[in-house]
Amino acid sequence: MKQIFVDIDKCTGCLTCTLACAAEHSSSKDIVGAMLEKVQPRISVEAVNGKAVPLMCRHCEEPTCVDACMIGAMQKDKETGIVSNENNDQSCIGCWMCIMACPYGAIQPNEEEGIAIKCDKCNGREVPACVESCHTGALIYVDGKTFAQEKLTKTAKALTEAS
Amino acid sequence: MQYVIIGNSAAGTQAAETIRKYDNAGNIVIISDEPHAAYSRCLLPDYLAGERSEKTILFKSANFYDRNNIDTMFGKKAVDIDSESQKVYLGDGQTVSYDKLLIGTGSSAFVPPIQGIDEPGIFNLRNLDDAVGIKEAAKKARRVVVVGGGFVGLEAAYSLYSLGLEVTVVERLPQIVPGQFDAKAAAILRNDMLAEGIRIITGDGIKEIAGPSLWNRLFGKTGKGVLLDSGERLKCELVVVATGTRPNVGLTAKTGIKVNRGIEINEYMETSVPNIYAAGDVAETVDVVSGELGLSPIWPNAIVQGRMAGLNMVGETRKYSQMIGMQNSVEFRNVPAIAIGLTRTPDDYEEIVIHRPHLNYYRKLILKDDVLKGMIFVGDIRRAGVYAALIKKKVPVTKFKQQLFKESFGYSSIIS
Repeated sequence: MKQIFVDIDKCTGCLTCTLACAAEHSSSKDIVGAMLEKVQPRISVEAVNGKAVPLMCRHCEEPTCVDACMIGAMQKDKETGIVSNENNDQSCIGCWMCIMACPYGAIQPNEEEGIAIKCDKCNGREVPACVESCHTGALIYVDGKTFAQEKLTKTAKALTEAS
Repeated sequence: MQYVIIGNSAAGTQAAETIRKYDNAGNIVIISDEPHAAYSRCLLPDYLAGERSEKTILFKSANFYDRNNIDTMFGKKAVDIDSESQKVYLGDGQTVSYDKLLIGTGSSAFVPPIQGIDEPGIFNLRNLDDAVGIKEAAKKARRVVVVGGGFVGLEAAYSLYSLGLEVTVVERLPQIVPGQFDAKAAAILRNDMLAEGIRIITGDGIKEIAGPSLWNRLFGKTGKGVLLDSGERLKCELVVVATGTRPNVGLTAKTGIKVNRGIEINEYMETSVPNIYAAGDVAETVDVVSGELGLSPIWPNAIVQGRMAGLNMVGETRKYSQMIGMQNSVEFRNVPAIAIGLTRTPDDYEEIVIHRPHLNYYRKLILKDDVLKGMIFVGDIRRAGVYAALIKKKVPVTKFKQQLFKESFGYSSIIS
């Protein structure tokens, strides 16, 4: 199952991913339209000690937001592993229980519509819009195992070069 | 293997779903005294207000019971358990045998001993039938008195207000939501409701609920009077009593199961009697903040306990990791509010506060030796879960203490 990973060292904080996310989740599918529609991005880039850190839903194995949802709208899809409160039989009521439950702070209130919004991995898009838009390669869309393997190789390489 | 689950709400359905995931062949039976498919009690105020229907308060899909091959015995009340012969007795005389039994009977409305409280026209708001009854009665009512200024009382008040009724809430304690929020947070929420036009009386109890006078009754009028301790008399046609809940432990009487306020369970959701488990509002678990055994009648904990019960019932032994007993999120009108863990600061604890009541903004963090023990967010609830995780995992905040109240504080502040 592919996940969105972050190579923090490569992130420059350009915020392109947030614009691409908003555009993808607008009805017009472009940035200007998203601004007019006031679409909130579902990925955020935060400044921590002068460094940019992108933050989005991790689509957890055992998501606490799903447990907290008292109408059953927040669900983890058995096939895709996507955690989302959209396109299910039940509809979000904006009780904010999921916001209280998410340890990553990855769910935002949309106060205008009174619903919680979060990353849905662009709901089946081959590559999520944020990853596609990332010019520096800070956002990576790969299988968890591949990512772990690459990280292992990289660390090993760095160690051998250092010695 | 015959799994029997008493209770068809959060804990019961979650346990059933979990059991089915691991045991394809076993029989699963859910017994419930209510005739309905599983619905979310938390949404009854929305149903009352007409914002949700009987269909849209269901938290499981329509095919849930079929898909998971669950036998349902709805509208049947379990009245007794024989733990020797492993049987559950139902009100209609039927018996159901079990190999593993889960008690997920939840809790019922607590009705205080007030004179006149059992008269017609006086309702609780605990189950769907209550809500249907209130909705019907509200059609003929102009004024309503809500007894109790907790979550259920205030949500009921707001729902009835939106139906066009004149609403007065009476709370015995000096503040509303006394169980969930501190006085500062309560004051903001109170002002928000007052602005809407709901009357709130605090620090005054109900002395008596008087029925209509003989004269009024002759003319078919239903008006009532609610007499307060202070002597004030409120006229109304409808009374909603929302003064807390009590766990439904009656069923355990003859089993010898250890019961305090709720059913005492260990970290495998087992009661003191073999093959009987408990989960949800009816169960007592250890709270992560206080370290003490107590009730935690909130939705997320019922779900997790239901899942853990299911896992342990099928033999997938797993320990329940302690949860925070008190976690509440609410938005009555415009101001969202979340409280987690402690809400009142004990003497030797540290407190960090931002209080801007004119902006409906309030934040309080309670710490002990640089570990978060509780929090209240009013007005801006974003990223509350990050703080909740710090409370739950008892993470020392020394390294990022200065950033805790920054707008930008989040998960990334912890990992960097």
